[in-house]
Amino acid sequence: MRVWVVIAAYNEASVIGRVINEVKRRGYPVVVVDDGSSDRTADASAAAHVLVRHPINLGQGAALQTGIDFALERGADVIVTFDADGQHRAADIEKLVQAIRVADVDFALGSRFLGCSDGVPVARRVLLKAATLFTQLATGLRISDTHNGLRAMTRRGAGVVRLRQNRMAHASEMLSQIAASGLGYIEVPVTIEYSAYSMAKGQTIGDALTILLDLFARRLYR
Amino acid sequence: MIAQTAISMLLTSVAVYAATERRRSPVVALLSIIAAAAGLYFTWTPDHATQVAMWAGVGRGVDLVLYIWVCISLIVLLNLHLKLRRQMELVTVMARTIALAEARHRLSEKADRRRFPEAVRDR
Repeated sequence: MRVWVVIAAYNEASVIGRVINEVKRRGYPVVVVDDGSSDRTADASAAAHVLVRHPINLGQGAALQTGIDFALERGADVIVTFDADGQHRAADIEKLVQAIRVADVDFALGSRFLGCSDGVPVARRVLLKAATLFTQLATGLRISDTHNGLRAMTRRGAGVVRLRQNRMAHASEMLSQIAASGLGYIEVPVTIEYSAYSMAKGQTIGDALTILLDLFARRLYR
Repeated sequence: MIAQTAISMLLTSVAVYAATERRRSPVVALLSIIAAAAGLYFTWTPDHATQVAMWAGVGRGVDLVLYIWVCISLIVLLNLHLKLRRQMELVTVMARTIALAEARHRLSEKADRRRFPEAVRDR
């Protein structure tokens, strides 16, 4: 089973090298999509098997779709999306791939609320729970964590994912597409390691409002 | 009451939209919030709106014109926003195509260097 790990990175020069090396140590090929960074993210990603560079900043959703397209071109059987800010553990990739294999599903979605998520600030926890409730109501998926960037999908699963939400609303959009496809999914407990760096990059209530508006606006045109 | 509620909902959505846009265009966001707040105030206090209208030297009918103008402006604004989103989707497809083509090119160059090291050294 050919597994490719897709990492979308924007101005992550200080951490991306370490993240790539951790994933590579587990034996997975890594494609980094540098989303038009203004810092030295591209140089720091030299260890990646492939670096794809957006000429301009488009957003995490756009970068992930680019990475997924690239991995599909290279014949990936399973594609794993992994955050660039160092909050995911490379050891969890194997758990996701195993879950797809054993449960015979097309999507394995990481859940911090089934796993270990020490140090989640109360405000962040409330925000995530509200987002999860919204996603459950909007998509009908029974999931416990809606905005977790650590997920795996089969080639068939990746085929039904077509992210048009360039920015943060892509996570909800992907879940909607999974629900609409009727393909099987499973949640897998994963660990999120919060740091001051990842918290600074995390979402706020303002971002949550933007996500809602993006999702709403996307329904107003074809 | 129905019209007041509908106009209030529209004006509130403008204020929320402006708040989320404050980083990208702070001046427009501030003006939009002020306009939305004034609109909300006058929607629920029509007497004050009339007083202002009288003070400005126009009759009550101008309230209605003003409200309609606000609604039309909102629709135009929404339309512009949606057009921009469509444009952005096209830009995304173009940028992705360029990025993937460059990555493929770099990979084939790397493969060539591995297969024909002598030729690369001669260049």
